[in-house]
Amino acid sequence: MQRFDLYQEEYHASPLENVWIEFKRSHLAVVGLIFIIIFLLITVLVPIVAPYNPDLQNTNALLLPPAWEASGSVSHLLGTDALGRDVFSRLLYGIRVTLGSSLFIVFVAMIIGVGVGALAGLLRGVRSSIVNHLFDSIMSIPTLLIAIIVVAIMGTGLYNSMFAITLALIPQFIHQTRSFVKEELSKDYVLLDKLDGAGSVRIFFTSILPGMFELIVIQATIALSIAILDISALGFLSLGAQNPTIELGQMLSQSLNAAYVAPWLIALPGLVIFMMVLSVNIVGEGLRSALRNRFKH
Amino acid sequence: MIKLFIRYINLMVITIFALVLLSFMLPFFFPGDLLTNISGITPQSLEQRQALEKAFALNESIFVQFQVYLSNFFAGDWGVSSVSQLNLYDEIAYAFPATLELMLYALFVATFVGIPVGFLSGLKHHNPADMGVVTFSIVGYSFPVFWLALVFITLFCLQLEWLPMSGRIDLLFEVKHITGFVFIDIILSDLNNTKEAIENAFRHAILPTLSISIVTTCLFIRFTRRSIMDVMQKGYIIAAKSRGFTQWQIFIKHSFKNALIPILPILALQISTLVTNAMIVETIFSWPGIGNWLIQAIYQQDYPAIRAGMLVVALFVLTLTITLEFITRAIDPTKDETARAAV
Repeated sequence: MQRFDLYQEEYHASPLENVWIEFKRSHLAVVGLIFIIIFLLITVLVPIVAPYNPDLQNTNALLLPPAWEASGSVSHLLGTDALGRDVFSRLLYGIRVTLGSSLFIVFVAMIIGVGVGALAGLLRGVRSSIVNHLFDSIMSIPTLLIAIIVVAIMGTGLYNSMFAITLALIPQFIHQTRSFVKEELSKDYVLLDKLDGAGSVRIFFTSILPGMFELIVIQATIALSIAILDISALGFLSLGAQNPTIELGQMLSQSLNAAYVAPWLIALPGLVIFMMVLSVNIVGEGLRSALRNRFKH
Repeated sequence: MIKLFIRYINLMVITIFALVLLSFMLPFFFPGDLLTNISGITPQSLEQRQALEKAFALNESIFVQFQVYLSNFFAGDWGVSSVSQLNLYDEIAYAFPATLELMLYALFVATFVGIPVGFLSGLKHHNPADMGVVTFSIVGYSFPVFWLALVFITLFCLQLEWLPMSGRIDLLFEVKHITGFVFIDIILSDLNNTKEAIENAFRHAILPTLSISIVTTCLFIRFTRRSIMDVMQKGYIIAAKSRGFTQWQIFIKHSFKNALIPILPILALQISTLVTNAMIVETIFSWPGIGNWLIQAIYQQDYPAIRAGMLVVALFVLTLTITLEFITRAIDPTKDETARAAV
């Protein structure tokens, strides 16, 4: 933003800095951000952080309750499961798989979605309406249904469930990008580009894309929370990750047999999923209101 | 208006056609014998195989096959399940109303709790109660549905023993399957203990409904709140205030309807989330619905059942979404009439 510059020491924050200043004002959002950073660190550093090998069976301590219960032990902080494996280590590895695959999915869906969305926005006529109709109809098909079809064709497994969820996430990005591009195309600065002789590809990359950054980031946080929930839901229904892969939803469904004697085996993985989704949602919400209010001050 | 209607009908027909085409193509991608994937019958002899091939026109061109598929589909002949050998049309007609029922309960709760709470908190925004509602709604839609359902089960069924854990109604009540909706069936089937049966069915419905509706309600609260806050800042609200209308008059006359318009299309998008959640919750509570049925089908690799079930659910969701979108467009005078129809 160009302003009249009378004093040398006057400093104008860039739009991105404005967002950060506004974001910091909400303490809750900062807490959410810290949680996300912790989860990301776990994802990267899990072999160092985890106290045990997640597949190591301690046959002397089956179904050990968490350390704060009377019969618990400090050597297994969150207890052990029915095969004597350390729950804490398994949770950390589960975070790695669930969060890591969700991040990957969102990234892929974002690239494809923005690309196709830009194409749909720039195209005119019949081709545009074909692309739009196709993806709009996919958008309203429930994720679980797409997953069921993909699993029926390709079999169960983490990668197949990731593929299904990517398919389900892409249309959201396409929709957002398309309507944004359509809106921007009628604005004056794009007209200026056109008068300068820019083609539609150049218009998109140099003029429209930089302004779309924030929209994409917000959509990505929404998509991330959906991806985490869906990956774990498919794992829970045993359509997604299979043994020996450790995934939070799948951990939960495998502890169902021991639900009577070991309720913490159900409570803990679900709680971790809940915390991940909650922190992503809080950060997304903080970001949205920061973007809304950043030029107010 | 008529032009709009035709545009939406057109969209609906094209999408339905695309879905039917997709479901026609599915058996070609499924692993295993094509004939079994289509018919659900594993032929025991060469004669039977040839008869089946003839019935499904497998030796003819792909267009003839599609034609046969279409005519079978519209005649209600959707093949048989490859596991149970039961007629798929009857199976789905049995399972689908149960899902619909569950979704209706959840939508009912979400609409009559979510929208009023959203309005209240949006009108009185930035006071402590509103902050509480906002926090609650962020927490509420972060819950993994399957975990929430399991927590409810451990709490209310295993620990407190207040509510039943699975099914729609106790087996003691011999409710005949007439419409598929359990409450209507109870009344129609003329039991001598109708009152107890209704109470029992109600107790069975509480936990599944609660598990699905918490997420949807929180989303409704957020959309409504945002929408009413946007509307209250508009010029015509300030104009109405300056003319001396009370807050209540402004709300009824001006802001209520205007705030509802942007909510409707977002609600239409939530239908698919609602269906997914209903399907997951059904498997946990053994609710005899289509989600439970489809997931059993995939465990047993029952391909004809997957194809028919997928087609029905997808058709249902799409029809509902397009209809809602049409209604929104029809009642909203500000929308551009020439804009293209979209799901």
